[in-house]
Amino acid sequence: MLPDLPSRRDPDRLLAAARRDERGHLKIFLGAAPGVGKTYAMLSNAKRLKLAHLDVVVGLVETHGRAETEALIDGLEVLPRRAMPYHGRDLAEFDLDAALARHPALMIVDELAHSNPPDSRHPKRHQDVAELLDAGIDVWTALNIQHLESLSDVVARLTGVTVRETVPDTVLEAADDVVVVDITPAELITRLSEGRIYRPETAARAANAFFKPGNLTALRELALRRTADRVDDQMVDHLRHNAIEGAWPTAERILVCIGGDPQSAAVLRAASRLASGLNAPLVALTIERTGAEVTDPDALRRIDETLRLAERLGAETARLAARDLPEAILRYAGRENVTQIVIGRSGASRWARLRGRSLSGALLRRAEGVAIHLITTEAPPVRRRPYAWPSRRSVGVRLAVAVGWVALAVPVGRLVGWVLHLSDASMVFLAAVLGCAMTVGQWPAVVAAGLSFLAYNFFFVSPIYTLTVAEPHELLALFTFLLVAVVTGGLTGRVRDQAQAAFDRATTLQALYDVSRKLARATGLDDVLWILARQAAAAVSGRVLVLLDEGRAATVADLAIRAAFPPEDELGSTDWAAARWAYERQEPAGWRTGTLPNAQFRFEPILTQQGVVGVVGTAPGDRSRPLPADRQRRLEALVDQGTLAIERARLAGEARRNEAMAERERLQTTLLSSLSHDLRTPLSSILGAATSLRSYGAAMSQVDRDDLLLAIEEDARRLARFVSNLLDMTRVEAGVTDLKRDWVEVADVLRGAVARAEKLFPDRRHVIRFGADLPLVRGDAVLLEQALFNLLDNADKYSPLGTATTVWADQQRAGVTIGIEDEGSGIPTPDLTRVFDKFTRVGVGDGRPAGTGLGLSVAKGVVEAMGGTVRAESPCRQGRGTCLLVWLPGAAASMEEGVDGGNQHGAGGR
Amino acid sequence: MAGTNTVLVVDDERQIQRFLRPALTAAGFTVEATLSGEEALRCFLASPPEVVVLDLGLPDMNGLAVLAEIRKTSPVPVVILSARDDEAGKVAALEAGADDYVSKPFGVGELVARLRTALRHAVQVAGTTAVYTAGDLVIDTLAHRVTVRGEPVKLTPKEYDILHLLTRHAGRVLTHQQILNEVWGPHHGEQLQYLRVFMGRLRQKVEADPADPRLLLNEPGVGYRLAAAHKARLKEGR
Repeated sequence: MLPDLPSRRDPDRLLAAARRDERGHLKIFLGAAPGVGKTYAMLSNAKRLKLAHLDVVVGLVETHGRAETEALIDGLEVLPRRAMPYHGRDLAEFDLDAALARHPALMIVDELAHSNPPDSRHPKRHQDVAELLDAGIDVWTALNIQHLESLSDVVARLTGVTVRETVPDTVLEAADDVVVVDITPAELITRLSEGRIYRPETAARAANAFFKPGNLTALRELALRRTADRVDDQMVDHLRHNAIEGAWPTAERILVCIGGDPQSAAVLRAASRLASGLNAPLVALTIERTGAEVTDPDALRRIDETLRLAERLGAETARLAARDLPEAILRYAGRENVTQIVIGRSGASRWARLRGRSLSGALLRRAEGVAIHLITTEAPPVRRRPYAWPSRRSVGVRLAVAVGWVALAVPVGRLVGWVLHLSDASMVFLAAVLGCAMTVGQWPAVVAAGLSFLAYNFFFVSPIYTLTVAEPHELLALFTFLLVAVVTGGLTGRVRDQAQAAFDRATTLQALYDVSRKLARATGLDDVLWILARQAAAAVSGRVLVLLDEGRAATVADLAIRAAFPPEDELGSTDWAAARWAYERQEPAGWRTGTLPNAQFRFEPILTQQGVVGVVGTAPGDRSRPLPADRQRRLEALVDQGTLAIERARLAGEARRNEAMAERERLQTTLLSSLSHDLRTPLSSILGAATSLRSYGAAMSQVDRDDLLLAIEEDARRLARFVSNLLDMTRVEAGVTDLKRDWVEVADVLRGAVARAEKLFPDRRHVIRFGADLPLVRGDAVLLEQALFNLLDNADKYSPLGTATTVWADQQRAGVTIGIEDEGSGIPTPDLTRVFDKFTRVGVGDGRPAGTGLGLSVAKGVVEAMGGTVRAESPCRQGRGTCLLVWLPGAAASMEEGVDGGNQHGAGGR
Repeated sequence: MAGTNTVLVVDDERQIQRFLRPALTAAGFTVEATLSGEEALRCFLASPPEVVVLDLGLPDMNGLAVLAEIRKTSPVPVVILSARDDEAGKVAALEAGADDYVSKPFGVGELVARLRTALRHAVQVAGTTAVYTAGDLVIDTLAHRVTVRGEPVKLTPKEYDILHLLTRHAGRVLTHQQILNEVWGPHHGEQLQYLRVFMGRLRQKVEADPADPRLLLNEPGVGYRLAAAHKARLKEGR
């Protein structure tokens, strides 16, 4: 024991314990064989709990017609089964949804290893059970030892019976309680013969096939040993849980190397057994030699399958690529603190093994400080195929090409012999073999070599037109030819095949590069999704959907189809369920996965750093077999690229939103401070003047009293103007639809505005100049007057006393231009456009003219709602003054525009 | 009330000046009105007023800077005009030596009352009184005796110190910081919660209805003020 290790609880352990508390508890009744009494034990225990008023429901029990067991169900609530049509029959299956809805404290679900019929949510019952547990329901279930994944090949060897229905070891390991239901083999056989397990006709068959004392003893030992291991684990668990210092397991870590050979699965299982025996973590590693990547689709599939099996067995998995395999394995092992390496006897050729170049040999020689287990397996009779036959058709084509080359060589050889008097035509045949190798590859070239050998013999070697050879030296020449043809043809063909493979790889890379460039250029999320869907559809030669969480609902997945190729916007209910499952569990679901395999699509979660954002659904055109490994890889690379792009687009969108929000907040702050200033200043004045009059009015002179009353009046008007401008602003912002579109005469409105301004600024001179034939405009006269008054007010306010303000209107560009020119100090150029923004006021401090910061923006809003424009020019006369220019479209123009633009509000009727 | 006191009004808003001048004149002050900080300081040096009304938001210089300039040479009472929501400005001004503040918009009566309290306080500092009266509350600083409605009240030394401090500045607002520095010493400046607890206890002991304090008033975000209710009585006494 390390002396400095503090005796405290391991946080991971505590967390695991906490997780166990919110999940339902799983109790497995483990038996060595059918008929040992698992169901019986489960039900009789359940009955006791029922009597103690626990909410127990029988989700599903198979009684196999056993009377004793059936009697036990009496008095227990049994969940009705769901009828599932399957091959014309109705199967009565466990109803998961009903079970979840019923939500009892404890549910009994028999036969954990059962496989559900297609169309079920999960292909396996243990997945149903996992969902029940997730929902917080305690589950009791029964399992026979031969159904355990890691034992299936052991069982097959021991009993000669291959088990198809298996349960991952992790299920048993994750169970909270395991109860072994045990009777002796002899007793079990007695039970069988008494017909208490199967009906007599089945029983006889079973007795011969399975219920042999040897089998039963072996299975019983497996069950007991497995449970003993578990008890051991629990003891260690208990020690850790209570921070008791004790015999800790050594820090073993096991690495298993797996490859594409069929023995890998058996090697992995052996390693898994070793790991669980040692209570050590297991890492499954697959490694490729760079430059000689695995291309055989079968091997790739097997690697994937074995890695998946490793995950099911609870192992970590890793993939590496390296030039020097033993070196890379040992380096990885060193980095990961691996203490034991498990490896299968390598499939290297006898020649390589003789020279000590097998992987296992190299590992044994170079390893230091690591134990190496070499697993020998009986090589199962696998059909080994030297080449990946692409398809029957292409084989035929290649053969035809090979024959064609040879057939061409015969007349050419004849011609060459006749013209050049060359007796030896072997060079011509050699050329044909090379040509064949260059055009169709290695193996057709070898075939062509053989054919050439025969043809050369037949047509050119005397006696001609026979396959016999007269001269011994010609026989030697003939075989030399064969050897040369095979070797050169083979080599040339291999070079060509490699070039082809390199070209294919380059094409794939180019395609990926193109996609990534396109994705990089796509700015919006929709573009990204569309590109992803299109390219992925090309990669799988089928259909692709991209679903994203719209985030409209906080708790449930709110998935919606955001892109599809070919375009599609409907999904079947099974597919929806699979998509949601993939999203919520963040694991693949749908076609050819463990969940809802009957769905049309296979859904993979899109995992970004912020978590899962959606799913990609793919439905390959060819549904009869899994997606070929190279396509699968291309798809994965695409989805990875797409994920990055989606993340980027989302972040960009978020940044834009944040910016908009910051902008809005800034505007709100400005609004608040402007409101507080513009409302408070007149209010202060009114309140101050009013209280002055009330408290000290009697002591004031008449002049002071009048002035205070005038101040109150002025500031009340100012407030009223401010409020009406605020209201106008709201109206204009709410949309132009409530704007009236009367015929308006600009001169009238302008005169009205000037009259109002003169009331407010009696000492200001207003010069009015109107052009001839001013056209009518369409709009709201009251709002327009307010707008023009605001412009005038602004001009008057910002120009010194005693100066003149010029107001003019002229016909211009099929409309009216109105100018308001003052003789003030002007507006700095950068502020010329800003003055029309809300709450923008040029100048600082409380001393600036009392304005609202709204007047010009209201004017702009009104003018633009009427289809016009407004702008400021400064300086406008002799380097001084500001000119505010308003252009309004003439009634005719604005009517056309109104009709063309579809904005016909009130246009036609008047 | 003593004859005419000169008041210097510093505010850049003409609308405010417009009513302050006649109102303060009518209330018995001689009014000097200035629209900027520079002008105010010039005016202040030319003919020192007896009390200053100072707006914090001036176009040319910060009101606080004007206050600091004034405080360099003179202890003249200064009443600040500030926005209602500018607590930080108020606290800063009070700690820089302002005597009181009025939030805009305000009634003239309120401003005049504050001005008079500030003026009276300036007088009181010269000749310290032994017995303070605030409503029903009587504090005899020589005998360390506090009575409420004639009944003696037992106070802890800290409670007495707080009450004494507020009474000496009756009618004026004291910032949290000022009270903490005076009573607990300069190292407890951040311990606002002490003050809240002690104020709560004090209110329990001296207020007729602690839930509706009439004597110990809270100025949200700024500090505490002992109600100047005794002002009327003192005025009658004079």
